[in-house]
Amino acid sequence: MQITETLGLLLALSFVISLLALTILIWAIANKQVHTPDADDARTIFEPGEGADIDYPDKPHHFDTARSGIDANSSSVVMWLIAAAVFWLIYGSLHGLAASLELHLPDLMSGTAQMTFGRMRTVHLNSVAYGWASQGGLAAVCWIIPRIFRTNLRMTGLLKLGIVLWNIGLAAGVLAIANGWTDGLEWLEIPWQIDIILAAGAACFVAPLIATAKNRNVHHIYVSGWYFLAGVLWFPVLFIVANIPGVHHGVEQATMNWWYAHNVLGLWLTPLGVGTAYYFIPKIIGKPVYSYALSLVGFWALALFYSQVGIHHLIGGPVPTWLVTLSVVHSVMMFVPVIAVAINQHVTVASNLWALKESMPLRFISFGAVMYTLASFQGSIEALRSVNTITHFTHYTVAHAHLGAYAFVSLVLMGAIYQIVPRATGKYWPFPRMIAWHFWLNVIGFAVYFFSLTIGGILQGLAQLDATKPFADSVILLKPYLEGRSLGGGLMTLGHVLLAINLIAIGFAKKTRETETENMVAAE
Amino acid sequence: MTDKKPDPRRPDENFEPFEETRRIPWPVYSIAIALAIWGVIMLVQTSTAVQVADKTQEEVAKEDSTKLAQAAAPDLDAGKTLFADNCATCHGDAGEGVAGAFPPLHGSDVVKLGGAKAVTHIGMRGIGGKLNVNGDGYEGQMPAFGSVLSDTEISEIASYVATGLNDDAKTISAPEVADIRKVAGDKDPFDGGAGLAGLINDLPAQPNSEAADQGADSERVAQLVGQGTDTVWACASCHGDKGEGIETVPRLAGLPAPYLAKQLHDFQRGTRFNDSMAYVAKGLSDREIGELANYYASMSSPSGAKPALQGDLKRGAQLAKQGDWSIGVPACFTCHGPSGVGVAPNFPGIAAQQPSYVAHQLAMWAGGARHNSPLGLMAGIGKALNDSDRRAVADYLASLAPMPAMDKTELAAMESNIPVREGVDQ
Repeated sequence: MQITETLGLLLALSFVISLLALTILIWAIANKQVHTPDADDARTIFEPGEGADIDYPDKPHHFDTARSGIDANSSSVVMWLIAAAVFWLIYGSLHGLAASLELHLPDLMSGTAQMTFGRMRTVHLNSVAYGWASQGGLAAVCWIIPRIFRTNLRMTGLLKLGIVLWNIGLAAGVLAIANGWTDGLEWLEIPWQIDIILAAGAACFVAPLIATAKNRNVHHIYVSGWYFLAGVLWFPVLFIVANIPGVHHGVEQATMNWWYAHNVLGLWLTPLGVGTAYYFIPKIIGKPVYSYALSLVGFWALALFYSQVGIHHLIGGPVPTWLVTLSVVHSVMMFVPVIAVAINQHVTVASNLWALKESMPLRFISFGAVMYTLASFQGSIEALRSVNTITHFTHYTVAHAHLGAYAFVSLVLMGAIYQIVPRATGKYWPFPRMIAWHFWLNVIGFAVYFFSLTIGGILQGLAQLDATKPFADSVILLKPYLEGRSLGGGLMTLGHVLLAINLIAIGFAKKTRETETENMVAAE
Repeated sequence: MTDKKPDPRRPDENFEPFEETRRIPWPVYSIAIALAIWGVIMLVQTSTAVQVADKTQEEVAKEDSTKLAQAAAPDLDAGKTLFADNCATCHGDAGEGVAGAFPPLHGSDVVKLGGAKAVTHIGMRGIGGKLNVNGDGYEGQMPAFGSVLSDTEISEIASYVATGLNDDAKTISAPEVADIRKVAGDKDPFDGGAGLAGLINDLPAQPNSEAADQGADSERVAQLVGQGTDTVWACASCHGDKGEGIETVPRLAGLPAPYLAKQLHDFQRGTRFNDSMAYVAKGLSDREIGELANYYASMSSPSGAKPALQGDLKRGAQLAKQGDWSIGVPACFTCHGPSGVGVAPNFPGIAAQQPSYVAHQLAMWAGGARHNSPLGLMAGIGKALNDSDRRAVADYLASLAPMPAMDKTELAAMESNIPVREGVDQ
């Protein structure tokens, strides 16, 4: 009792301190205590003789990444990561689609243990979370970090070793899961023995990215850089703490489980997605983001409030009430950073709508950025006890998870891939029409998926709460909505196949432009 | 690659993003402040709620300890109240009994001869068998209260019955009751007056004991109950060794054999719906159904149920004893017998039934998923009760003493009434 009270006090203090920190930050910005960047700060600071000829004294926010050799240096690492990410995207999508089919055709693949729902779904989650989104995000990080720091990516050999280790670990993990060997915790299914390989791979990413940041040639760190560096430092901590065996037991283990599972989204995939959108939206449009002060609020409020969010998944569970309340409060506080990011990103797009017609990558990325706003708002509201009672343990939660991890993170990363690959390879996309097809397949497929599961989930939740209905009723009523989910998932998977075809084809295409970088946008 | 002309507003490739120096818009401030205030209020509210809960726990502990201190001298007023709640439904408000059905406790030769100690023994174990009181014969069907009343409560009731209703001077204290519980607590009910004769000296003549006749089929039934077969899961694996049930799995011990047989046949036919029970029932022959029904009907076991649904026990008692005519609900006891012990062959005992099971079944009646009651009686009642009423009555019934086991001769007489499904192997 005494211990829980002490812990409760400490955690409540963490809320108060976070609140205080945010207040001080906002006060400091309002009173110009924070040094805001001006043209001089943003300008490249080069060592004498190094790259001076490619600076633009008349245009302070310009930098030729191609001629300075920065892109060429990072392109092989980036292309390795993209190839691996898209492989896992296809692999994971097929498993997701199969798992979805099994929910309304239960006997479809029931003959083989490896292909039953419990394993297919788990393989899907691990493939898309650690294979696709993590590596796709790292590809964007490795591409953008050198550009905003105006310096070459360091230790590219170590990075490639990291990629190899990460994919070996992941393949082993997925095989283990398919054959029934798991740690039995959501998002942490890969056996801890295999996690050692993944942790080693992650370490190989951290060092080069820190080294690159240390050697930067700019004074001011652009907002994408904060998100990327923070995410790259947060994720290994989360991953290692959550996977050490024998530390957490019982209810405490469940608490740790949701602390981890939610922070993988909020402190790893979200920084990757938000950072990528923060870079490419203004980059493609050619206009700055709305406000540096809002960037600060958006980043620090995420950093301060997100870490406690996950426990709202244990509402009604045998955990202390104050722990859940604290999590609910932190979840709702997420409105603050999300609104800040939304203003910064959407104002830039909304005042330059012409660019959405011009650039397919921007279409993917700004669609994803809008979905970040919606997913976060929805998440904050879902954390409230009154809403959670109906929606939790239903397919509504699944729809929400995909709004965040798919419509937001995945679409931003797909846009980033369409933007990066021509510049990394010096080739045009062989089938540019397919990019538009991919976009519309994903958007329409996702809309079918999302609305099916959202409506079905609410009906399912209401049926489960109605004591006068047998549980089976809440399952049977879902059938049409689950079929809708498979249809949507099928369309989304088809879109991914188009991306893979384009990517394979660009690998075989001849180089069309060596260092020529003009009119790149038209190519997409 | 596309033919259309590039937009003139398009930036050149070398533009790098930056952030403008702009103030934070005022709506962001106000939203942040509003959420922060809301968050603090939420946390403060929760912390006071937790404190209240803790205080109540402490108070409860305190109350318990003061009760224990007073326990040496039984509180006869409390005994009177407990008597009204637990005994009066059968034995009458003043213990006068019901001629031919329930023996009197006021001026009773059994109580006078045995005193508070005998009352304690009988209250703890119950009676299942014929007995004579004051020279009149009764079908003994006394429930066992050992599992639902505490030592203190039994001492208060027994002392009240001995001194308040029979002018005996000797009361019994809670520690003495505790000693009796140690010896007799888990014993079967007294086998009628013959069984009582061993407890009370000089008891007037009692009817002969009708010792249970273990039928020839007992081994097969034991096999079904304990191990199951290829197509039938062991009954005890869900319903418990003593047929006491758990959560939404019902208590079976002491339910009327014809009722149990009808439910199994309904599961077979699909007129009562439950996936697990439909599977089990389809694997049973009619003969096995009859044997199992008898097995559980003649089983007597302590209550395994406790109020667990935060139901309002007062409201539950009102519904059980008086009903609520404002919503058209009759008293449960009208059909299910005094104290809910059941009225064979059609009305099952509901006393000591698992509260989750009762509340769930009432909800199933309300929603129409269960619809196998004679004349649709339960459907109307289920629909009239709301969620909190269902929990209230379920919790109240769980607080009652379990029904006594059915008499073996009675069973034999009822055997012919067990509905038999046509066209099934006999």
